[in-house]
Amino acid sequence: MARLADFGTTWTKLLDTESGERRILRSREARDLTADVATGHNARRRAPRHVNELIALAQGGLRLLTEPEFLILDVGSRDIKYIHMRRGELVAMDWTATCGSLTGFTLELLGNYYGIDYGTAEPSTKSVPVTCGVLGMEQLFELVSQGVSEEEAVARFARGIAMNAYRFIGAPPQFYLSGGMCDNRLFLRSFPAEAEVRPLGRFVLVEGLVEEMGK
Amino acid sequence: MTDRKRRIGFVGVPPEEALGPRRSDILIDLDNVVEGVHLRSESVLPRTTCRIIRRVYDNARHLDLDEIIVDEGYGKCDAARGLAELLAATLSIPVIRTQNDNRVPAGTPICDSDLPLKRKLELILDGIVGAQHAVPLRAEPRPRAAFWGVPAADFSIYDLFPDGTQVLGWTRCLENRTPADWELEMWVPEGVPTVFFAQTFCAKSIVAQHLARKHDGLYVDVDGVMPQPVRAKIEAFLRFRGVWD
Repeated sequence: MARLADFGTTWTKLLDTESGERRILRSREARDLTADVATGHNARRRAPRHVNELIALAQGGLRLLTEPEFLILDVGSRDIKYIHMRRGELVAMDWTATCGSLTGFTLELLGNYYGIDYGTAEPSTKSVPVTCGVLGMEQLFELVSQGVSEEEAVARFARGIAMNAYRFIGAPPQFYLSGGMCDNRLFLRSFPAEAEVRPLGRFVLVEGLVEEMGK
Repeated sequence: MTDRKRRIGFVGVPPEEALGPRRSDILIDLDNVVEGVHLRSESVLPRTTCRIIRRVYDNARHLDLDEIIVDEGYGKCDAARGLAELLAATLSIPVIRTQNDNRVPAGTPICDSDLPLKRKLELILDGIVGAQHAVPLRAEPRPRAAFWGVPAADFSIYDLFPDGTQVLGWTRCLENRTPADWELEMWVPEGVPTVFFAQTFCAKSIVAQHLARKHDGLYVDVDGVMPQPVRAKIEAFLRFRGVWD
């Protein structure tokens, strides 16, 4: 039996390999938790074995997907990263904690602040230039002060994040999405219409840890 | 008359004609970290100045030097030439501008040895001041990885690579004592997983990125301390290219 964990900035994802139980906790409520194998921003001090997020993401893809080639974009609370694999070999990857910083975190914050239901909010055709969460938020507040509705302003913000992430991964016709944003319907609908987005859920990195345990 | 040794700071790789007569003095490589130096450059230099030029400025201002020798030839950058101008205008010591166009190769046994990568860099940088090849070296016939670039500001990057990682780029030119040898700087062996490194804001980032695409390598740039995403990218690259299991 082993406890595997993705200790993210805002959310912690746990898998008990014996029972198969999966749990998601707020990271501030999981500060005392440790794991046998871990990944994520807060993992190094909390597990004897640490796997970096890009390797966990790639291994998660190899475990979950059957296609010989795939690209997975992970949008986290504080950064975005992707990995593109073909027949088990690395094609491309990148990870930015600057240009895409705090995007997921900010979107969650704004949803709570304005009381927006991302399940029903309509996407916008316009976008806020979101070079990072903080700068994007400045633009959003400016829109609101100009009379744009809060829901429309947040929708433009979400589209800005989506467009930024989409350009970051090289604008492919189809890609997989990993992370908490898989549960955000507004975000999923904010990518360009020509892009096919396939959500994989929040446990892709943890699945990668399962794969790593066998090595 | 005093027998105090003079303290000579140098930037880049000044030609032997400039360094040779001063080898009995204390030679200090201003490109390198010097413990205890205060960081003052933030308020003086533009924000888009690379970490090495900042370090040179801080060292030059903080250390009690008698003279500074700057290599501002083809092997160095406009930023170094600009900095030489600034130092000459603001310091009361001589700032001697030189150009190292040496084409006589000294060889690259350290770059091609089986030593750990960090040790290679230490030896190459120390070699500018002291005798080259003072330690016994064994060649690495089949390097598992290669590292292209200038010496990094944060040496922890070298710990990510296996022993015997081949050193390429300007650092190779540095050991070879031909800092302006563009052909050698561009040389990349085929088939060896290579990380192409540049200091953030360094003009070499253009060619580093180009070479990474050309040779199917990984391009990274770092400003000072290596951030986690860069560490992860290098680890993943080496892992999925079969360098590490």
